[in-house]
Order: sequence, then structure tokens, then C-alpha cells
Amino acid sequence: MAEKKEKKPNLLRLNPLDFTKLTPVRKARIEAAPARELRPADTYVPNRIANALHPDVQYLKVTEIIEHDCDNKSYILGPDHAKGTDALAWFSAGQYLSLSMEIGESFATRPYSIASSPNDALKGEYRITVRRTAGGFVSGHILDTWKIGTPVTASQPLGEFTYEPLRDAKHIIGLAGGSGITPFRSLAYAVAEGIEDAQMTLLYGSRTKNDALFDEEFTALAEKCPAFRYVNVLSEETRDGCEHGFLTAELIRKYAPEGEYSVFVCGPSAMYRFLDEELPKLGLRRKFIRRELFGECRDPAKEEGYPGSKAASYQLTVRVSGKDTVMTCRADESLLAAMERAGVKAPSHCRSGECGWCRSKLVSGEVFVPKRMDGRREADFLYGFIHPCCTFPLSDIVLDVPPFHP
Amino acid sequence: MERQYDVIVVGAGNGGLAAAANTAKAGCSTLLLEKHNLPGGCATSFRRGRFEFEPSLHELCSVGTEDRPNVVYKVFDDLGAKIDWCYEHDLFRTIVKGQDGYDITLKSGVDAFCDSMEEAVPGCYASVRAFLDLKPKIDAAIDYIYASKGNPNPVVMLVKHTDFMRTAGHSVEEVMTALGMPQKAQDLINTYWGYLGVPTDELNAMHFLNMLYGYVSDGAAMAHHRSHELSSALVDVIEKHGGEIRYNSEVTEFLYREDGSCCGVVANGEKLYAKEVISNVIPHNVFNMSDPKVIPEENLKLANAREFGISVATVYLGLDCTAEELGMNDYTVFIKGDSYPRDQYNNRLEDGLYIVNCLNKVVPDSSPEGTCTLFFTMPLFGCDMPRDLRPQDYKKFKNDLAKRYIEDAEKTLGISIVPHIEEISIATPVTFARYLGTPEGTIYGYKLSGWDSLMARTAGEKEDYAIPGLSFCGGHYIRGDGYSCAYIMGEMIGKRVAKRLKGGV
Ligand SMILES: Cc1cc2nc3c(=O)[nH]c(=O)nc-3n(C[C@H](O)[C@H](O)[C@H](O)COP(=O)(O)OP(=O)(O)OC[C@H]3O[C@@H](n4cnc5c(N)ncnc54)[C@H](O)[C@@H]3O)c2cc1C
Ligand code: FES
Repeated sequence: MAEKKEKKPNLLRLNPLDFTKLTPVRKARIEAAPARELRPADTYVPNRIANALHPDVQYLKVTEIIEHDCDNKSYILGPDHAKGTDALAWFSAGQYLSLSMEIGESFATRPYSIASSPNDALKGEYRITVRRTAGGFVSGHILDTWKIGTPVTASQPLGEFTYEPLRDAKHIIGLAGGSGITPFRSLAYAVAEGIEDAQMTLLYGSRTKNDALFDEEFTALAEKCPAFRYVNVLSEETRDGCEHGFLTAELIRKYAPEGEYSVFVCGPSAMYRFLDEELPKLGLRRKFIRRELFGECRDPAKEEGYPGSKAASYQLTVRVSGKDTVMTCRADESLLAAMERAGVKAPSHCRSGECGWCRSKLVSGEVFVPKRMDGRREADFLYGFIHPCCTFPLSDIVLDVPPFHP
Repeated sequence: MERQYDVIVVGAGNGGLAAAANTAKAGCSTLLLEKHNLPGGCATSFRRGRFEFEPSLHELCSVGTEDRPNVVYKVFDDLGAKIDWCYEHDLFRTIVKGQDGYDITLKSGVDAFCDSMEEAVPGCYASVRAFLDLKPKIDAAIDYIYASKGNPNPVVMLVKHTDFMRTAGHSVEEVMTALGMPQKAQDLINTYWGYLGVPTDELNAMHFLNMLYGYVSDGAAMAHHRSHELSSALVDVIEKHGGEIRYNSEVTEFLYREDGSCCGVVANGEKLYAKEVISNVIPHNVFNMSDPKVIPEENLKLANAREFGISVATVYLGLDCTAEELGMNDYTVFIKGDSYPRDQYNNRLEDGLYIVNCLNKVVPDSSPEGTCTLFFTMPLFGCDMPRDLRPQDYKKFKNDLAKRYIEDAEKTLGISIVPHIEEISIATPVTFARYLGTPEGTIYGYKLSGWDSLMARTAGEKEDYAIPGLSFCGGHYIRGDGYSCAYIMGEMIGKRVAKRLKGGV
């Protein structure tokens, strides 16, 4: 039936009494449903995958120790079934675990890159490789006290130093220095085993070939696998088949493929500083340079914009769930480091300002945050939230910290 | 002896935050527990490299301005929360791909909207106008229903509010068809089904019209500093009024008195007590954390009768070029493989509907100079995820999905995106399951299906939430999802609970 054009549009053909049926129809639907117990959320497919990929905590234990030398050891970590961890979470090559542990009166977390292939996680193995940091607090503790069977509390795999197929070039130039080699070991296996559909040329800077961790392994892997190429770059030794010198732009260009490539960088701060001069010479767009996190800032006085501190240390009042603990924080240590020293359990993972896990409210006081590490959200500036892992006191401080859970 | 609060709010999503802000402001001692280390639930932000992304909000409707405040503006303003609102004046651009496709941009403002509709579909003006004109009639009827304390006189309803009854008793498409709206005009407007997750042949007309009118009359609004600004502002209100917020505090059990009324929760192994508990957590999860004896049989049946609402897959891109360089001129583009909503819904896994947003068009400095961001949204259900998907295949799964949509947008919009991707993040129902903890990763609570529509839920509120001392708010509540609805419901519940505690009813 065609409607007449001149008529104003109206709803006359809809029965208003249909409205009165809404409730009875709904009631009947509810009445007809069973009163059975509800399926738990974690049994649904998305929840199951989410839980497998992102466990709140992973209880592990040391199952094997590989001693490279007295200052470098690899630890194979497996699930601690007795504590309820039955499988290890899958990860993207390049990610890290945040380990937490009590040492004496202190409570500390430290990030360690996973150095093994993601496929090994399916077999119940993560490998981390720890290098001794002179004056370091946790690295020495690990190297000197961990034995087979030592329990280890780890986070889920974290971090963004990973290959992203839609973002990165298919060819990765890995620039590694010192213990910065660890994520590349994982990436090398991921490339070799076809987990990541990419190629990698690894330029590994060490003083001598002897100092290069996993040297034989990388050499063998490169021979076997065309997608992976391995080059030693030795600063204090000249050797056949190895490059001599540093990771310069010229050297990178020599090994770079034609066309696009992504540069992935992980190494000590001296190497980052050196590359800050070298990488711009390559004229790469910013998206093609990915840096692993810098780790803790050890000396705020060296940072751009540091205003100087009136005192050598300040009083830090830490409030957790309404309970205050008072401690001393040195001007040259982060608020997080002071909390750890005092044995206050504060959440943290990356310790580099990036992950936001340590986010806390600055109730009062003045602070300094190195600009290069400031990973805060915009609104956090408006409402006085900070990341204590990269925040240094300039006065007495009151800080409201979320409760820790493992 | 454990401390007893007036109110414990479980979950700091939009609903929980608004509820807690209202109870705290009313002078009730309030404890808000949140399992994540941030407030907001969906309403947050996350950083990648030099970008800070908006994870979920497309556009807030019913905000209004300082001079012409609408409900959402008032929710914040009444609490003393200051938001730096940014506005969008085009409604949206929508493209149907293929031979019989079209590419149309609709304007906001009632007159401008009707004009842009007439231009797109000649002859539709009167019916579109008539559809929007139903809005004041609906408001008048709802005012009357409230004034009659939920017991309206049926005769008055039938005589004075007939058009309300017709609208509220039928689907969007039934009402539009009755008004003689051409199919193409219907399909154009009904593009918005994507925001509610229910196709318009099933979606209640009154519900849809409320949302549509919110966008058409006020345009859309966004907070300057992503949704994290909205959540942070509410947190600030709560704390200013002496409320306490505990992050990293997952509630694992709800506690009940002998008489079956709710009296507290367990979080991080600690028992916490309150006179009233408000749950921003979906009833399914609450019931699974409760003694089965206290759950009224009808409430359990309701939970069993319901389907979970829709979830989404989303792609967040930080690009190393400006929106202008990219050739993106619109904030919101809906791209569709079919013109009809039900077809889009049915084809959601192949070539249904997806949304592309470029926040820089509304908030120019939402990314660093010389850059812009894109945000893709594809509605899909948690149960659409492949059943046999293994965790180790998930990265490839989500990258394949993202690639398909990005390439489709490149083709459809005639722009080049992939070479500019500097940062990328991809979310799926797995991601929402992870952060929200909802079954199937639903972001919309329960499906607002025909029988479980807003109208029917409103009428059934008392019986549906029958556990004494326990109130609910959030996307799963009577008004369904959407930031606006969650805020409005949070405010309503917060005020209601505060009133009860102060000796009111
Ligand atoms: C993403 C990422 C990945 C990494 N991967 C690896 C890896 O694969 N292999 C590797 O070897 N390293 C890796 N690191 C570095 C590693 O996390 C540690 O920084 C390194 O092992 C040094 O830790 P440390 O505690 O020994 O030294 P430091 O961090 O220098 O220890 C000193 C810190 O401890 C504090 N402190 C001192 N005394 C005390 C006390 N009594 N109580 C509490 N705190 C105290 C200090 O204030 C200072 O902050 C990685 C870092 C990052 C960011
Ligand atoms: S621990 Fe990651 S930001 Fe502080």
C-alpha cells in the first residue's frame, strides 16, 4: 500500500499496545531459562588465551645453570608446579621478564630479557643471562647465590622490543653490545625457526671475540640458516672474518640490504651514546630505529635540565593503602630505589619509565624526571602522578603507592 | 577489627568511578577497589613510543557545552570535575564499497543533519525530521513515568504518550519504515548500530533515538588528553572528598550476611566490609564469586538467559605523517561491505562494518607534531574468535586481521598507511578479556537484544537486581554500554545508594 505523499509522516500503523508486551515477553524469556550455575569467565576462548599469555605472576625455578665465566651466567628457568605454575607464557622474541626477590631487608625487581627461543617456552624453558654489574645489587646476588632449584618469581613477558610485521622492515639490523646480546639471541632463534617472518643481520660489538657471549652458537646458527647473518665487531682485537672497530654508520651501511631495513639496538649506555652520533648519518626514518629500554638512570646530575639538589638526601614518606612508612631517599637515587632499599614492596617492571607499572601519586614535594625517560600519560601531568622508577627527589616527598601484588 | 565503610565500589570503570565519586561527594565513606593499576577500565590510555593512544572512546554523545550543558557535561560538572572538552561537528562519513556503494558525510545540528540527509537521499527529509521529532515526545513520556514513580496511568500513557509507546515498543527499522523513511536513508542513519552492537532490526527505537539525538544535536565530544583524563578527573573528585582508591586490588569474593544481604568483599586476601556494595563488575562474575545460596533464582535465570554483548578488534596506529599528508580529512569514517546493518552484522568476520578514526581531526595535538594516529574498530563477538587458536598463534592472528583492514582502508580511502606506521598495537576480545576480565571479553555487557532492550530492562530493574545491599552499574546495566550510559548509570546508582545510607529510601 503506497502512502500518500502529502500526509505528514506518522506512526499510526504501529500498535502502541505492543509496548505493554515488552515486560511479559522478557519475563517469559527469563522464566524459560535454566537456573544453572554460570560458566566461569576463564573458560571462554578469549579469556583462556588472555590468561595463558598474560599470567599475573609466574613461579619458576632454576633448572640449569650455564657458566660463561664468573661474571656471566645463563639460567634456565622452568615452571614451579608446586607453586601453581604449570606452563610458561608464550612471548614475542625481544621481551623481558621482571624478576622480583627479597634480598636481606630489601625487596627488589629487575628486568631481564628472555634469551631463548619462544618455542622453548612451550617445552617449559626460559633462559635469562645475567651479567655482573659493578656495584650492582641484584646481579651479584643472582650470580653468587642462585643454584639449581632456587625459586624465582617472574612477571608475564613484557616489553615492546619486538618485531612487528606491519611496522618494521622485513630486514632487521641488530646492533648489540655487551649483555645487550640477550634479546637478540631470542630473536635469532625466532627468525631461524620461522616464528617471525623476517631476516636479521646481527652486528655484535665486543672487546674481543672471547668476550662475545654465545659466539659459537651464533656462528653455527648463521651457517645453518640463511635468514640469519652474524658479524663480530671487535674493538680491541683484529681477527680474520671479524670487523674491527665500533658499530659505525659506515659499518652498518656495509651490511645493510638494499632497500628498507629496521635497526634494533640493545647495549650499554656508552653504546647508545655512540650510536646517537652514528645512526643519524644513515638518514633512516624514526620508525626504522627501535631501541631497547635504557634501564635505570644512575646519575640524575648528568641529565639534561637537572636543576641541582639542595641536599644530599631527603625524607620520603610512602603511603600504601593508607599506611605510612618513612625512609631516606638520596638525591641521586630514584624514589623506587629508596623504597626497595627500605624493603617496601612497590610495583615496578621496566625500571625505565616506560611501562607505567610503578605509577604513583605525588602527594607533596618536588621531583626531577629525566626527559628522555618520561613515559607518563598526559593526564598524569595534570593530576600529579609520577613513575617513581625514574623520579628523583628535590625536596621531602610524600608518595601514595599502589599495593604490590606479585 | 576491620574497618567498615559506608560504600565499597568494586571496579573503577566509568560506572564505578561515577558511582564512587557521587557517594564520596555525598559524604559517605567510600572505598573503590580496582584490579588493574590504573583507573578507567576501557576509559584509559596507553603509550607506545612517542604516541599516547585512546583505547576505546570514539565519541561521547550527550555532552554539550558550558553554555548548553547536556547530561554528561553535568555528570562531571556537578561533581566539580573539570574536563578539557574538544568537539567534533561532522557526524560521520560513511562509505559503502562496491558498485552500488556511496560515500556520504553527514553533519550534526538537527537542521544541518536533515539537510545533509536530504542531499544524500532526496525525498527523505520529512521522515528523518519526523524521526528526530519523536525525541521530545519520548522525553515528556519518560518525565511522566518518573513523576508517577514508575506507576504510570495506562490511560494517560495511551492517550497522551501514544507515540512514545509506539517508539519504545518497536525496533528502529519498524519505526523508520512506519514513518516512510526510504531504505537508503534508514541504512545511512543506522550506520550507528556499530556503536551499540545490535543491528537496527532488533534494536529498540527509543534507545537508538536517544543516542542518535545526542550526536545530532550536540555533536560529539572527546577529552583533550584521551579518556585517561576523564578517569583521572573522577579519581581526583573521589580523593578530594575523602574516598579511598586501591589499585592492584582484585576482588575475589563477595561477602553476605546471614539474611543474604551483601556486606563486603575480599580483596588481596583481606576482608573489607561496607553497608552497601556497588559492583561495576558484570553480574556473571559477581555471581561466580558469591555463595550460590544468596543468588535469587530469577536473577540466575536472567544471567543464563542473556547473551554477552559485542566486543571489538581494534588497531592503533601511530603514523609518521600528518593527517593532511596522509589525506585523512574526517574524524570518523564508517566503511561497510554491505549497506544493510543486519548484513554488516552477519558478515562481521569477512567484510562487514569497521570504523576508522583520526583523533587529530578533533584534538590536533593528540600526537606529536608531524604525526597523526589512526584507530580502527571492527565489531565482533568474543565467541567469533577461533576456538582452536593457540596462544603462540595469536600474534599472527591479530596481525593478519589488522593487515586486512588496513589494506582495505588504504584501497577504500585511496591513501597510503602502511609505509607510515611508526607504532602499532592491536587489540581483540583477548585484550579486553585481559583488561576487563569480562566473559568473552565483552565490552558491552549483555546484548541489548529485542527481548532484553533498554525499555524492558528499565521496567524490570527492581526484580532483576534483587540482592539487598548490592547494586550494579556499568555497561552491563539497564542502559547498556557507551561511556555516556555508564556515567549516567553510575551517577544514578551512586546517588541512590548515598540517599539510602542517609536515611532516605
Ligand atoms: C629491558 C631490560 C632488559 C634487560 N636485560 C638484561 C639481561 O638480559 N641481562 C642482564 O645482565 N641485564 C639485563 N638488564 C639489566 C638488569 O635489569 C639490571 O639492571 C642489571 O642486572 C643490574 O642490576 P643490579 O641490581 O646488579 O645493579 P643496579 O641496578 O645498579 O643496582 C643498584 C641499584 O640498587 C639499588 N640498591 C643499592 N643497594 C640496595 C639495597 N640494599 N636494597 C635495595 N636496593 C639497593 C641502588 O640504589 C640502585 O638503584 C636489562 C635491563 C632492561 C631495562
Ligand atoms: S617500572 Fe616501568 S615505568 Fe616505572
